[in-house]
Amino acid sequence: MRKKLSREKKNREITIPTDSFSDIAFLLIIYFLVATTLVKVKSITADLPAGEKSTTAQSDKTPTVNLRGSEIFFNDKGLTLEALNERLAALELATLEPEKRVVMLESAAGTPYQNYFQALAAISANGGVVALVENEKK
Amino acid sequence: MKRLPQRKKRRPVVIPIASMGDIAFLLIIFFLVCSETSKERSDLQVTLPLSEHVRKNEVSVVARISIDNAGAIYFDGAQVDGPKDVEWGVRALLTSTVSDEQRHVQFNCDASLPKENFEPVLQAIAAAGGIIEAVGKESN
Repeated sequence: MRKKLSREKKNREITIPTDSFSDIAFLLIIYFLVATTLVKVKSITADLPAGEKSTTAQSDKTPTVNLRGSEIFFNDKGLTLEALNERLAALELATLEPEKRVVMLESAAGTPYQNYFQALAAISANGGVVALVENEKK
Repeated sequence: MKRLPQRKKRRPVVIPIASMGDIAFLLIIFFLVCSETSKERSDLQVTLPLSEHVRKNEVSVVARISIDNAGAIYFDGAQVDGPKDVEWGVRALLTSTVSDEQRHVQFNCDASLPKENFEPVLQAIAAAGGIIEAVGKESN
């Protein structure tokens, strides 16, 4: 009897149940599809020159945007954001050579990022290259 | 002659489903390889600035820098001490880049923060050679 049992054990086939594998795989796909969120943020592109700090003053012709609190100045003349957009569009910066596209962006202490962002967006959207003006630390 | 149509009717229609599992697993592998896990922290308290000029960002970014409403700076989700850490971090990531397309750095900042908080970080990104992708909301 013992011999018979051992023989039967040896002959027994081991099978791995693979019938439900495709179901599991499709469930995983559905999980990935449901759990995935496709995030596409909205942004503005600003390529600020990484150049060395210049101690010499820029030429008078370089357009300058100045932010003082909530006020915007373009070449020392106060204006609204819409007017700034118009003035920058009139310069047709995108058609100029890269070195002539520079627009200086100067801001007073405490200027909120909202105002800064709008000025940065206006300059970039009109083809300008933003150069940040840093006040000298005493 | 009349037997022919009867034979046609009896022919069984078999849908091959043996390879369905393989196809499904291939699809899973495709999703795993193509998906990118978000390196950005979702719990940051940031109110985005508004502008009419914002566009959908189509480029891939090498790093994500955020400044929350308390002024804390985050580099790819991890808090850093200051702008110098941002500069070195971006610089390290850009060492292996070859084209301008690989220089984009996402910048996320709270709209109410003053210049003293965000400008050094912008300058740090620029100094490291990154092109800033400043995130904002579209204003109506």
